[in-house]
Amino acid sequence: MKYLRSGRSLGTTAPLAVIVIAAAAFFMGFYVMPDGRSQGTVWQRICRAAGFVGSRPRTVVQTALAGHTKVVVPTAAMEVGTPRQIGHGATLALRCTACHGAQGVSGADAPNLAGQYSEVIYKQLVDFQRGDRADAVMGAMVATLTDQDMLDLAHYYAYLPRPEKDRPLASAPPLVRVGDPMRNVAPCASCHGSHDGKMGAPNLYGEPELYLKTQLTAFAGGSRANDINAQMRNEAHLLTAAEILSVTRHYAETSASNLD
Amino acid sequence: MIESRRLILAHFWLAFAVFLGAMILGEWQMVIRSPLHAWINVPEYYYRSVTGHGTVMAYVFPLLVAMGFGYAITELSLKQTLVGGRWAWAAFALVVVGSISAIAAVASGTASVLYTFYPPLIGSPFYYLGIVLVVVGSWIWVALMAVNLHTWRRARPRGQAVPLAMYANVAGAALWAWTAVGAALEILLQILPVSFGLRHTIDAGLARVLFSWTLHAIVYFWLIPAYIAFYVIVPRAIGGRLYSDVMARLVFALFLVFAMPIGVHHLFADPEVGSGFKYVHSVFTAMVVIPTLLTVFTICASVEIAARLRGGAGLLGWLRALPWKNPAMLGLTFSFIMLGFGGAGGLINMSYQLDSTVHNTQWITGHFHLIFAGAVVVMYFIIAYDLWPHLTHRALGQLLLIRTQLWLWFVGALVMTIPWHLAGLLGMPRRMAYFDYSNPAIAPQAWTVVAAVVGGAMMLASAGLFVLILVRGHRGASIALPEYRFSVAIHPTAAVPKALNGFTVWVSLMIALTLANYGVPIAELMAAKTNVPPVFYDNR
Repeated sequence: MKYLRSGRSLGTTAPLAVIVIAAAAFFMGFYVMPDGRSQGTVWQRICRAAGFVGSRPRTVVQTALAGHTKVVVPTAAMEVGTPRQIGHGATLALRCTACHGAQGVSGADAPNLAGQYSEVIYKQLVDFQRGDRADAVMGAMVATLTDQDMLDLAHYYAYLPRPEKDRPLASAPPLVRVGDPMRNVAPCASCHGSHDGKMGAPNLYGEPELYLKTQLTAFAGGSRANDINAQMRNEAHLLTAAEILSVTRHYAETSASNLD
Repeated sequence: MIESRRLILAHFWLAFAVFLGAMILGEWQMVIRSPLHAWINVPEYYYRSVTGHGTVMAYVFPLLVAMGFGYAITELSLKQTLVGGRWAWAAFALVVVGSISAIAAVASGTASVLYTFYPPLIGSPFYYLGIVLVVVGSWIWVALMAVNLHTWRRARPRGQAVPLAMYANVAGAALWAWTAVGAALEILLQILPVSFGLRHTIDAGLARVLFSWTLHAIVYFWLIPAYIAFYVIVPRAIGGRLYSDVMARLVFALFLVFAMPIGVHHLFADPEVGSGFKYVHSVFTAMVVIPTLLTVFTICASVEIAARLRGGAGLLGWLRALPWKNPAMLGLTFSFIMLGFGGAGGLINMSYQLDSTVHNTQWITGHFHLIFAGAVVVMYFIIAYDLWPHLTHRALGQLLLIRTQLWLWFVGALVMTIPWHLAGLLGMPRRMAYFDYSNPAIAPQAWTVVAAVVGGAMMLASAGLFVLILVRGHRGASIALPEYRFSVAIHPTAAVPKALNGFTVWVSLMIALTLANYGVPIAELMAAKTNVPPVFYDNR
């Protein structure tokens, strides 16, 4: 079988046909039916149809609600701290040991901080300092800390080994693993994680039961209101006292002291 | 005569082994999310399984089939020993190492990112590095296909037309080489730095645009071995002739042109892409109708030729004369039926407006399982059955078993995917680990999930039968085979247009259209540096 030497027509007609199709498609897409056709000049409409950022509507920033937290967590708080930061944090942490324990594991029903995510600790410290989260002890403890101090403390506690590794989600109460969709209760694990970590929510495994119960009750009653989009208040107020007990017990019972 | 039998068998056997494993995962997913099973306690296991299933079925399995089939076509159509056999084994080794790396990351629960791995969800670097190795291995295959064609051309007088099978094969390789660039850029420039912990934010919008570069043309890459089988295996296997050799070449050339500049139709709901480009991509998606309908016409005409050669007559009476018990005939029929339903659904997906009713619903899962798992994989079976005796030099008997296997696959695929389409229209989201069937709004959809369990079980049984038939094929009676032949055209083609004997025009158009349709969105997103959410580490 030979190829047709004179058959150049396909080699030129095919590109021409494709160019015509492309021209028609661009004309239709960018001129005839552009995005938001009633607004702006032709050129602005074409730019909008091409997706240029400058022609997009600006994001509307909502005004903060009362008690709304104003913390912006910098990426520095999400990274692993440098040895220098961790060392500085460890020095500062000496004043925390009475409640949070020498190694970040509390014997006093204060939250265990060892291995907690750094951005979580940082945000709470800032909230305490600015009064968005109220606590007589913590408010006084953080009053004099600089922003760098709080970052370093967060890195130090994140650096400490978490006392508990095993996370038996399979035995968790339904509220933790699947929530209660009929009542619009999301599963705890969808934000707080199970096998994985979720940015922006603390790891709850191994926290003291009393602490968890106090916080859930505070969210439910609205006396704690530093959850950014009211997500904890919305969930907690739907829970009965028995349900609060069951989820807090689940997270607490997996703590190091309760595991064999 | 196939000389690289061990190489080709290695590709096929690895492909079918991982395929069977991924089938088991798929059926497990169907069961645990159905009303037949309690809610899964750890949704993470579900997503781990979905990631494994998708990664194997979308990347490893079709790539290995295309590679093995490509080597076979090279030797059978060019009638020359494969050039670069060692490189081919090296490419195979890369695919094996890459697959192990990716699957190990998924199995250990550190990369439950689904096969689309959309940021800002980020998994273990071993997953992405594994994918990169698989792609690098496949690029070696692409190069080998080009080198072998070049070697063949050099040894022949100028002006001899490339055999159709090889032309189509190299078209598929060229398509893959270019379409893999999008995801490769996404992984190397965006995802790996984050996965290694060097950066903590990622432009998810840009990543999605780059992935869409790969995401739709890869579908046509999966499809091309099936299309090659339509043209060069089926007409011969059923005792007919190919209706037109030139039409077939045009189809593969047009796939090169129209498969690429269309991926943004996956991003119709994405705010970072302008509506103008969405419209343009929608138009080019519609253009794929041309090679598809050309194929339907050419193959139906080829089948009619077979029927008339067998004594069929009348306007439709010839249908009775077709060799319905022939696996190739059966496979083609099933494939076309599923391609018809799937193509009709695809017309809805590609429409900017209609897509909003089905976007990210179970409809989409139904659509690509019907097209890929249904229409395409059934032709992979036919390819394997057709080549097996030439690879093993043994008889592949058990026609009844083969027909049963094909029927099970076909019925299973329809039972699974048609209800999924319905569920999608009712609003069921895709990628759900469980549903609350006690919710009155969801309860009417429950039966569709049970149907998927039943259809999936039929497909799993069919996959098991398929592997069993191939294993038995190694133990059949030794036979002396006639020379392997591809289909011949009914009218000997006197001349092939020059443009359809090479790839210059089509590859140039492919690249030019990619730049026209993707250049501005990508450049704009890279320049804007917006939409930079912090990432979610799956392996924290």
